[in-house]
Amino acid sequence: MSALRTSGPARVGQYLALLAYLVFLAFPFLWLVSTAFKPAPELASLHPTWIPEDPTLGNFRQAFDEQPLLRAAVNSLIAAVSAALIAVAVATPLAYVTARHRGRLASAATGWVVISQAFPFVLVIIPLFLILKNLHLVNSVLGLVLVYVVWSLPFALWMLMGYVRAVPAELEEAAAVDGAGRLRTLVSVTAPLLAPGIVATALFAFVTAWNEFFFALVLLKTPEKQTLPVVLTHFLGAEGVADLGPLAAAAFLATLPSLVVFALLQRRITGGMMAGAVKS
Amino acid sequence: MRRILTAAAALALLLTGCTAGDKGPDDGVVRLRFQSLAWQKESVDANRQLVDEWNATHPRVQIDYVQGSWDSVHDQLLTSFEGGEAPDLIHDASDDLADFAYGGHLADLRPLLSERLRADIPARSWETTTFGPDKGVYGVPFLQEPRVIIANRKILQSSGVRVPTPEKPWSWPEFRQIAQDLTRTMGPGGYAVAWPLKEPVSVSLNLGLSAGGRLFHREADGRVTIRFTESDAVVPGTIHDLVVTDRTAPRTTLGSGGSDTLPGFFAGKYAMVPLGFAYRQQIAQQAPKGFEWTVLPAPAGDAGLAQGVSPQTLSIAEDSPYKKEAAEFLDFFLRPENMVRLARGDWMLPTGTKALADPSLHTAEDGWATGAAVAQRLRPAPAQSVRGYPEWKDKVATPAFQEYYSGAIDVGELRRRLVEDGNRVLARYQRK
Repeated sequence: MSALRTSGPARVGQYLALLAYLVFLAFPFLWLVSTAFKPAPELASLHPTWIPEDPTLGNFRQAFDEQPLLRAAVNSLIAAVSAALIAVAVATPLAYVTARHRGRLASAATGWVVISQAFPFVLVIIPLFLILKNLHLVNSVLGLVLVYVVWSLPFALWMLMGYVRAVPAELEEAAAVDGAGRLRTLVSVTAPLLAPGIVATALFAFVTAWNEFFFALVLLKTPEKQTLPVVLTHFLGAEGVADLGPLAAAAFLATLPSLVVFALLQRRITGGMMAGAVKS
Repeated sequence: MRRILTAAAALALLLTGCTAGDKGPDDGVVRLRFQSLAWQKESVDANRQLVDEWNATHPRVQIDYVQGSWDSVHDQLLTSFEGGEAPDLIHDASDDLADFAYGGHLADLRPLLSERLRADIPARSWETTTFGPDKGVYGVPFLQEPRVIIANRKILQSSGVRVPTPEKPWSWPEFRQIAQDLTRTMGPGGYAVAWPLKEPVSVSLNLGLSAGGRLFHREADGRVTIRFTESDAVVPGTIHDLVVTDRTAPRTTLGSGGSDTLPGFFAGKYAMVPLGFAYRQQIAQQAPKGFEWTVLPAPAGDAGLAQGVSPQTLSIAEDSPYKKEAAEFLDFFLRPENMVRLARGDWMLPTGTKALADPSLHTAEDGWATGAAVAQRLRPAPAQSVRGYPEWKDKVATPAFQEYYSGAIDVGELRRRLVEDGNRVLARYQRK
């Protein structure tokens, strides 16, 4: 084990790299928060400050006055939660079967995943629109959820296949030796070990659907059904002009649910549950 | 297990609740969907009020107001047209209509428009929405925005330079000279003018009209070819000289949008910023206390103050079963007094002659009078109806102008790219 120890300077370097990465990741978000609380003249200052000199909630008031943010957030939440739950419900058994019973099915599924990720939105949007129209699912959240499920399913499947492969088959065999049936093994042995993978996959599907813009823009016609990313564009004008303060305020609020969901679920993603489960 | 079943049932209920139909009862009321791209509060309020006024007085034809976004309108409309689900009434800009008009997605408005509306809007504005060999009209141009120079009044006054008026504007050579005088007065770190040239093609072509530049020439056989003459070189040459030769304009703003130049303008780093007329709203809102600004006409050339514009438009979808009702709404929406409300809400100029004569659009405050004086000289933006223009703009002209303005290529290379590479692109679209 001593070979894995890192020397002092190397460790310092690692932490510095990690810090730089964190700053890189956090910068846009912190700037967004700072902008959300700045009054209009401060937004056009040549020497912008991190901390607003004259902080205001005016941008939030204006954002809520001008756009139905709450209704849009509820629509987004329904679409994202539904899409995440359905995607996980479909992908989990499929991933288990594909990962455990290797053969042509597994190769075909992997191939399908890779190919499906290569299609750009614009290529599929018109045929998809026509299909949903024939099913009377245009301008419905159900239609949007179906699209999100289909869109995130390949990657969700791929993710989960990796997690299933990481669960040692020996554990299931041991359960079988102890007299557990197929269902009991799946429920009591495999499912708990897969939980971090399922949570991570659900998070992925949730965040993808929560942030998705183009399908929602095209499929939902009435203002009452529009989702948050679509409503956020209403603060944008032509040629890149934007109502920056209210846009930042609304965008800041839009990021909160993702952060909350992540904070609630992150403990369940932690790995290490299977460390030492089998001797290798 | 019970918890899972409960969650599943709740989800199913939620989703079925969300899909409850959007069709109203069959009460004989015609419902038209109007997708507006108005986005600033004053403008959205003006639009909504007009829709409410119409709905209150027309119970049999009701308008559903839907807010769209300039950012994504083209892709959204394209998909909606293909899927047969487009809004009945469509707000867009004339330079975005060509594909939809040629694609048969927009109704030809000629048989639908009232004589009043047709006569109120000048022919030069109608030209911006006229497409195809049949000269069909596929939108009503109703708001337009000239490019003006917004200047720091104090710097201008303290430098003692001649302040231009629409009657006696600066010429392009005079503008260059004044930029040198201003930069000298402002001292180190100051620049006379900041050109936000994120979209260099529209600026170069639209302002180029003032010097007689056309670039796109329609030949006898109907084909369009690009030629870069001395007149076409005047405006790009002046911008290039300001940035590269005289250093009276900073290189750093060449890739910026209009809003990006405002912090430097407010801080007194730039004395002038050429911007669209509607940017005045942002300046009025964001300018620090005590900051004094004024609106000047763009410099003039051999063709005077002429410049190209792509007006905002209102169109009717070809698939709409209620074109007559939609046209009646347009007629109401664009009455002169309503056009004034829309123009003031968007800080733009109306196309209608009666609306443009409204005294509220001729006040000195916020530079309205300068814009109104320039309005007579606005022309259709060059090439907006030429097929292949978007590709020429993105693949050939934008990088060529960007490199020219930054000093990476000379005018000979700019000409070669615009003409040789450009004509190759156009030829593909004009094959019979």
